[in-house]
Amino acid sequence: MALREFTAPELPRVNSNAARLVPILTTTIAALVAILPLQIPGYAALTPALALMAVYHWTLYRPDLLPSYALFGIGLGEDLLTGSLVGVGALTLLVTRAVVLRSRRHFVGRSFPAVWAGFTLVGGGMMLGLWALHCLLESSLINPRNTIFRMVLTIAVFPAASFLLGSTQRVLIDGPRLMRRR
Amino acid sequence: MIRLSPQLRAGIQRSTLPALILLSGAMLVAGKTDQTMFETLRTGLSDVAAPALDVASRPLRAAEAAIDRVRGFIGVYQVNRRLEEENQRLLQWQQVALKLTTENRQLQGLLKVVPDRAVSYVTARVIANSGGAYVRTVMINAGSQAGLARGQAVITGDGLVGRLTEVGSRAARVLLITDLNSRIPVKIEGSNTGAVLAGDNSERPRLLYVGSPEALKIGDRVVTSGEGGVFPPDLPVGMVSAVGPAGPRVEPYVELSQLGYVLAVDYGLSGALPQPVPPAVRPGRKSKAASEELQTPAQPAR
Repeated sequence: MALREFTAPELPRVNSNAARLVPILTTTIAALVAILPLQIPGYAALTPALALMAVYHWTLYRPDLLPSYALFGIGLGEDLLTGSLVGVGALTLLVTRAVVLRSRRHFVGRSFPAVWAGFTLVGGGMMLGLWALHCLLESSLINPRNTIFRMVLTIAVFPAASFLLGSTQRVLIDGPRLMRRR
Repeated sequence: MIRLSPQLRAGIQRSTLPALILLSGAMLVAGKTDQTMFETLRTGLSDVAAPALDVASRPLRAAEAAIDRVRGFIGVYQVNRRLEEENQRLLQWQQVALKLTTENRQLQGLLKVVPDRAVSYVTARVIANSGGAYVRTVMINAGSQAGLARGQAVITGDGLVGRLTEVGSRAARVLLITDLNSRIPVKIEGSNTGAVLAGDNSERPRLLYVGSPEALKIGDRVVTSGEGGVFPPDLPVGMVSAVGPAGPRVEPYVELSQLGYVLAVDYGLSGALPQPVPPAVRPGRKSKAASEELQTPAQPAR
């Protein structure tokens, strides 16, 4: 497996320790929000994959601040708390990172529709892959209806999540640095 | 901090991702082969996270209550009228029930019926759900400290929710009746036709091994049969909502996607559940918890 990690040198260094934690914190919060019991009919089955969006966003823009081991930890915690098979969550987030790292240069600096299209491919692909993996593990054909609904919902919610994450990034990570430079 | 040469550091950085991907894959396979492997870790983390999740889910509950109140004000007149009519009807039923209770007591006295064992309830709040498409479980904010034990039935006023599969000291996990791994011995009320209610992660679980499928009608009430000794008999489960070549399905009485408070019930039966056994002893792939075997063997022959 030839996975190239984009390391810090090409990205501007963030000096504030608190700012450096923002990607890990937002991804953790996204993972937690997804398991809160909202009283919306069918929500548990159709919850958009919020952590996946955060991982896509941060791996695209600040891969140095959302390292692999953090994803492993978040994914593992998610699996343990939701009662899913241990390793599924971690695997999903890490493979997402691997895929985004490899295709990063196609999306960075592009307009939002291109970024969204990228998420549709990566996120949609991951969710279908996850469905296939569960079918394999349970050795039965799981009805793909929920997966497809969830996928559509996740892709539809992405612009909002991307806006929130982008604003957070501008204010907390890029902002202070730019201001200092001026 | 240990100083590493730039080459070594770059090497480590490059190999972290593939190594962790392999590690997650290995954990997945290991966890699938031995379901009990991560159980201690699971209950441990649930116990630690329970207070945080409890607090985090409170504002949601408050917001829902506020929305409910506003909605209540809007329909207050119609609701009041409906309730008055309902109250009239229920008062009549109350008379009937009182009469029947007295009669029942007298008849039981005549027949020397052994009374059912005392039942104890623990009310708990749902603090987390499964947040994904592949498991149907919820976490509740009570555990062994409150007297909960593995295998106990979890119900609401409407009917059966599921059963406890993992119990930590402060939190416990409920396997819902819609989960892929849930198998519950049930019967069709009235006819005493046995069947097994099998979840498949959809909202409406399937009904397998129905004794006489041709007698099944949409609207039939499905209740627990009590076989296998895990659930007491006659807990309401749901209503037959589909029959036909695709197989019968059951609409649960409980709205499982909107669980707020649930009751964990100790019927004095959970002692029958064994602790997790090593995988070698467990036949079949579907056994998420050892308790499954106790629930499944009661499959009546076709």
